[in-house]
Amino acid sequence: MSNFDADELKRKLHDVINEPKVDRRVGVYFLRTAEDKSAAADLGALHEYAAHLPGVQMVRTMTVKAALDPEVLARELRKEKLNTVVLAAEHPGFYQPAFARALALAGADGSRVSLASFGERGDGGSAKRANDVVSSAVQGVPFDLPAKPAMPIPFNTETLVIGGGIAGIQAALEIAESGNKVYLVERTGTVGGRMAMFDKTFPTLDCAACILTPKMVAVGQSKNIEILVLSEVQEVTGSVGNFTAKVLKKAAYVDASACVACGDCAQFCPMTASSEFDMGIATRKGIFIPFPQAVPNTYMINPEFCNWHQSGGKKCGICAKKCSKGAVHLDAKDEVLELKVGNIIVATGYDTLDPKRIDRYGYGKYPNILTSLEFERLTNASGPTGGKIAMKVQRTNKKTKAEEWVFEPDGPKPKAVAIIHCVGSRDQNYNKYCSRVCCMYSLKFAHLVREKVPDAKCYEFYIDMRAFGKGYEEFHERIREEGVHLLRGRSNSIVERDGQMYVHGEDIASNRLIDVPVDMVVLSVGLQPSKGADELAGKLNIPRDSDGWFRELNYNAEPNSTGRDGIYLAGVCQGPKDIPDTVAQASAAAAYVLGSIVGAKSREATKVEAKAGTPVRS
Amino acid sequence: MAARVNPNLIDDVKHYGADDVVKCYQCGNCSAACTHSKGEHVFPRKSVHYLQLGLEKPLRASLDPWLCYYCGECSDQCPREAEPGETMMSLRRWLTAQYDFTGISKILYRSGTSELIAVLVVALLTGIGFLAFGFTQGGGNLAVYDGPGAFLPAHDIHIFDWTMGGILGLLLGINCVRMWYFTMRGEHSVPVPLSLYIKHAFTIVVHFFTQKSFQECGKKRPWRNHMILMFSYLTMLILIMGFVKQMQAGPAVNWYVHSFGYLASAGLVVMAIVMVRGRLNKDESYHQHTHESDWMFLILLLYVVITGIAQHILHRIGMPEAANIMYVLHLMGVVPMLGLEVPFAKWSHMAYRPLAIYFSQLQDAALAEGAVPLGAPAKAQPVA
Repeated sequence: MSNFDADELKRKLHDVINEPKVDRRVGVYFLRTAEDKSAAADLGALHEYAAHLPGVQMVRTMTVKAALDPEVLARELRKEKLNTVVLAAEHPGFYQPAFARALALAGADGSRVSLASFGERGDGGSAKRANDVVSSAVQGVPFDLPAKPAMPIPFNTETLVIGGGIAGIQAALEIAESGNKVYLVERTGTVGGRMAMFDKTFPTLDCAACILTPKMVAVGQSKNIEILVLSEVQEVTGSVGNFTAKVLKKAAYVDASACVACGDCAQFCPMTASSEFDMGIATRKGIFIPFPQAVPNTYMINPEFCNWHQSGGKKCGICAKKCSKGAVHLDAKDEVLELKVGNIIVATGYDTLDPKRIDRYGYGKYPNILTSLEFERLTNASGPTGGKIAMKVQRTNKKTKAEEWVFEPDGPKPKAVAIIHCVGSRDQNYNKYCSRVCCMYSLKFAHLVREKVPDAKCYEFYIDMRAFGKGYEEFHERIREEGVHLLRGRSNSIVERDGQMYVHGEDIASNRLIDVPVDMVVLSVGLQPSKGADELAGKLNIPRDSDGWFRELNYNAEPNSTGRDGIYLAGVCQGPKDIPDTVAQASAAAAYVLGSIVGAKSREATKVEAKAGTPVRS
Repeated sequence: MAARVNPNLIDDVKHYGADDVVKCYQCGNCSAACTHSKGEHVFPRKSVHYLQLGLEKPLRASLDPWLCYYCGECSDQCPREAEPGETMMSLRRWLTAQYDFTGISKILYRSGTSELIAVLVVALLTGIGFLAFGFTQGGGNLAVYDGPGAFLPAHDIHIFDWTMGGILGLLLGINCVRMWYFTMRGEHSVPVPLSLYIKHAFTIVVHFFTQKSFQECGKKRPWRNHMILMFSYLTMLILIMGFVKQMQAGPAVNWYVHSFGYLASAGLVVMAIVMVRGRLNKDESYHQHTHESDWMFLILLLYVVITGIAQHILHRIGMPEAANIMYVLHLMGVVPMLGLEVPFAKWSHMAYRPLAIYFSQLQDAALAEGAVPLGAPAKAQPVA
């Protein structure tokens, strides 16, 4: 954001109006590469339009094959006596240096190159917009004004962090540590995010909870952090220093300050639902706590799975009766909070690809095919089997009388487990990009299989093994030495014959087709932007890249910035990354926020000093 | 012995239609998706790999491209849009050019312009030849179509057909021998005893007439269409080679012969139109890419069928001059189509495909009997 010095603006306008007009002789170049499927495909009409704009002497369409030669361009500019050049293209900035040099060679002012970009954000497809883009570049502002940084006073020192995973937690803690207030908005019922679901982290095989839980507790205890669970950002207005965010805080139906998490309510609750935190492989009660170490450690109700709410308050309500603290308020209402903040950190993380989209892998068809997050919950001590790797068993549901496959701690152990890499990743039909963490977590899974079921064979089907981080290659070697079969070749499908599952694929090393009999398959599904990221991008007015991740301002130099002052990115929402990178980026985002807060404070102090030192004149 | 790399191979095969070979990252999904890929013949990944590396000799010795019928399942599933199905199609064209000892195939496939010029030149020569023959050796009167004094007497046409058939058969036969030499007598080939050659010989006949491997593909429609086209063509061939006199006699319709002719014509027309439409609409993955030679084949086929039907009708409705001219125009399509396509281009697959299946069966049978490939490198043991 910037404002202008009014006096200077007046003076410049005066100059422009009174000075004899410079003879602007404009050349408009439409530039395209051979394979350019430019949005402004109808160049004919655009060409015609540009030719009639004031000052335009020449319009040319160039198909650029090799680097432009400034000497050749300069000859043309000289011939047409052009002193201003407008470059219209998908990414015109790419050609600017050549034309700037050409103008200088032709004896004109090298800075008089205007860019008309069709690739800018907005409706690139419409002809009118293409016209406008060219028109504003041709006519432009005839002079420049130096921008002055704007600082609305007072600068709000509070920060909104969207997303309560490891990135949001880390950023919130860093900011809170400095004595500044943070609102941590989380969509689910607890902070912790995906990392809270994990059992181990790669490559160190540390217990994920041992790293995360202390941070979660610190967030819960910090005086400077206000956790808003079951909450979603609805609207954001304003700019850096004074954003206003409307946050919908859904009712938990349990008073967090009164609930002591004794669990009496759940004991009597007649409802069962599949547990969101356990990725649906375990069940929970209608009134529940997402997992034992949840922060805030409070029970909650999702009205969709609640007798009282579904019956319109006529039935049940036993939880309210059984709560000795009177903490359950079934008639509680959602509320919309209006938060005033100076900075926003986006840390919305990821979802995983739905493997049902690839039906040849049989997910949903065969019971013992799991996604990676389901396997994480299975191996986690707080999961349905207490961390044992067991197969699903068929049970009759007492209520519905339907046969269903469920995990039980004493279920049979698999004799062979296959882990399939790149499910929906690096695939033009699904996600084109590499999700970056799957190779390593798949190796971690193999380790867990070999550790927990030493008799089980474990096969990894991979395309390329991407062990790029510190200690990762060593981890890869270690898993190999642990007796895991690493098979190069993305498997094609999972089939069942006579009750035995087989992974069908090609073993690239031997150029043989193989059918590997397995009892359990883990699909290493890729990461994709979390649900609602597109809407959030609209609310915050920040761009996303073609894969849907939030786009950083500069890949190398500004990986945390969004292009909007005061809104920063942390973690996977910017692109797939592992936990160490996420934590580092979250700390960096916090540093940006703290920098802006400290900067605003010091500017204010200078201003006060300056005021004090200026003699008052009447 | 170290394999020799031809770094230009991938660019060379591009002329035959394989554009996306470099995109492949060797995941093996295609090989596992293919219903024909099994045992010793696991493809198309391996062929793509040979191409990427430039291993010309092993590729030339490979039968795999002929075992593929291009259902397109591999291309549909390919995570890289590397079009393995189209690569196999292009390799069949490339192999056809490799087998061809005259080098004509290479010229026809590598340049659409050359093919067009070749077709036009042969057509022109045919036209001039038959007109000259008609006026000098034949009846000499364009107004007589059949019977004694016919402009192009059926007896002479019969001799011409058999001569052309003999020449084309010889050319294709030589190319088949070269195919056998490359694939069965190459550096790492499997030695196959003569007894096996005899034992499995019937395979060629079965696969020639039924294309039953094609039927194993996931998609059945292409097989059905191909069968209709092939049997229509075969019927026509038998009629022309054996019954050209009865065919030409008229103007009464000889139903014993002509009913077969009508059926075959209908089959050829309908299938040619269906195939042109499929390629224009790009309705299936195997129709996404059309090489210049494919268009040439379909256009010639349509031309030949339409002129053939036209000369027949013109004759029956009592316009012998027009019928004779149309007959010459018809022959101007038939001769380049068969003359160029049978030994040098697309039609040659009628021999190569059943042969490849036969050879691959021989290899499998020999390996099963314990034969060891010449100079075989130690193979990695497959797991489980």
